[in-house]
Amino acid sequence: MRSSDLLRLALSRLGTGKVRTALTMLGIIIGVASVVALVAVAQGATKGISDRLQSLGTNLVTVSPGATRTGATRGAFGSATTLTLDDAAALSALDGVQAIAPQLTTNKLIIAGTQNETARIIGTTPGYLDVFAYQMWSGTFLNQASVDSNLRIAVIGATTADNLGLTETAVGSTIYIGGLPFELTGIMQPKGGSTTADDLVLLPYSTVHELFVGSSSVSSVGISATSQDAIASVSSEITYALEQRHGITNGVDDFTITTQSQLLGTVSSVSDVLTLLLAGIASISLLVGGIGIMNIMLVSVRERTREIGIRKAIGARGRDIMAQFLVEALMLSLAGGLIGIGVGAVASFAIGTYAGWGFLFNPVTVVISVVFSLMVGVVFGVWPASQAARLDPVVALRYE
Amino acid sequence: MSAAPNEPIIELEDVSRIYDLGKVQVPALQDVNLRVARGEFLAIVGPSGSGKSTMMNILGCLDRPTAGRYVLDGQPVEELDDNGLALIRSRSIGFVFQSYNLLPRTTALENVATPLMYQGVPRKERLARAQMALERLGLGDRLDHEPSELSGGQQQRVGIARALVTEPALILADEPTGNLDSHSGAEVLELFGNLHAIGRTIVLITHDADVAASADRAVHIRDGQLLEAVPA
Repeated sequence: MRSSDLLRLALSRLGTGKVRTALTMLGIIIGVASVVALVAVAQGATKGISDRLQSLGTNLVTVSPGATRTGATRGAFGSATTLTLDDAAALSALDGVQAIAPQLTTNKLIIAGTQNETARIIGTTPGYLDVFAYQMWSGTFLNQASVDSNLRIAVIGATTADNLGLTETAVGSTIYIGGLPFELTGIMQPKGGSTTADDLVLLPYSTVHELFVGSSSVSSVGISATSQDAIASVSSEITYALEQRHGITNGVDDFTITTQSQLLGTVSSVSDVLTLLLAGIASISLLVGGIGIMNIMLVSVRERTREIGIRKAIGARGRDIMAQFLVEALMLSLAGGLIGIGVGAVASFAIGTYAGWGFLFNPVTVVISVVFSLMVGVVFGVWPASQAARLDPVVALRYE
Repeated sequence: MSAAPNEPIIELEDVSRIYDLGKVQVPALQDVNLRVARGEFLAIVGPSGSGKSTMMNILGCLDRPTAGRYVLDGQPVEELDDNGLALIRSRSIGFVFQSYNLLPRTTALENVATPLMYQGVPRKERLARAQMALERLGLGDRLDHEPSELSGGQQQRVGIARALVTEPALILADEPTGNLDSHSGAEVLELFGNLHAIGRTIVLITHDADVAASADRAVHIRDGQLLEAVPA
């Protein structure tokens, strides 16, 4: 039989039972639509997370103390005290380093007028603003002179300002940190990204070292590279410089370098798992749709037993009958798949618009969905079709 | 492919068909011998339960004999597999059934063209040939009618057109008048007579001696055995 004949037979058959055809396809439509939509959701969510990560500072390289190993046991991240202000000073001289921001952290009670709050105190350098991509809302940030002279000045985040009831008119006033008076020189714009990103008080690191933290161990050093391409070379320079300074020769470093690209990589691998999971869940409905097709095809073979007998009597071979039923199942699943892609695209568009990550439509998903629905047609069409092909013409002709 | 003109179209030698029902073996045909010459119009007559249907299934290559030899149009068929049987049905046999057995929801034209589809004939050609066959049987104005829109006599003529369209060596008719009123039945028998006159080989299976009388030879079947060959 020619394939054009098979297509014509299948089309005319599906056209004669429109309601049944539509209901049979519904399973596949729902299956494919949910695969397409859920994959789009997973990808949209990933994009949202990536965008936020970018806002943390794209060229950021973070050096943390730690990764000291005792045998096979790794110490708690950041628990070590191996990174010092001197290390930070040495790193600032490296090529490709645009700005550097060591962080000497502690927690202190802040009092402003009648309000008070315990906040995260970070002693750092003027580079902090660039490294962590903050912008000033009012007043000025720390400058080099304030660091050099251990000035008692403070810059606060937007959340902290809110909590303390401070607005731009408060710039220049005095606030008390750990019981000591500081001049508030600036308030930063909210950055978002995480709840703690805007709840902080920035002081010159020299001041924090002098007044609050006796040790010169920093909790981390933020470094912004001159460009994203420089991140790799800066990372290896940092590794080399710190190994030299710490006298490490066996390659077991007592510090950890984290870059944005690593973080993005982690996020994307998490989102790959998420995508697979959602696609897997959606595939279950595709499977159910396939079983629906098989069910209808089995009923159809039974109903059309006599027709099969007639066709065999007038010269159809088993494989002609097989092909006829298989093509019918394939057309059901393919048509269902195509409609499902349309429905899925509309759903992705609606969800994307609502969630604000826009319309994400992955052509790969479309191709995979089509292939998958064809496979469903084959897998669930083969059995009914072979039942039809194996019918004994004598028995089939007598069937009422 | 075809046998020489003087050779018989059908040659049955000691053909038996035994149904194996597990505990019992039911012989539906026993040691049947039959020759049908090219161009002959033969009636096989017998009451129900005589083995008539089994005879029709064997002759029509829908079933295989359990023993014996069957040569159809020069081709031994008792050894063929299902595919081989389908091919020989497609090439050499045109069936006419009691209940017409047209494909439902399918036009007369498509019904008649379907055997050609299974021969791989291109659509244009097969529709032209099907139209010709229908026109020859006086159904030129019924090409686009579905079976449900046709009378019994018309449906049977569509069935005959379908049997003829492949120009088969053998036309095998199973009670072709069984569902028809006497007038339509007579028309159908007259048609067979005409076909016989232009040299077609026809085997007609019936329980009705009057119907059998339109053939030029009749054999009787009783309890799975051919009794005698009675010249008409």
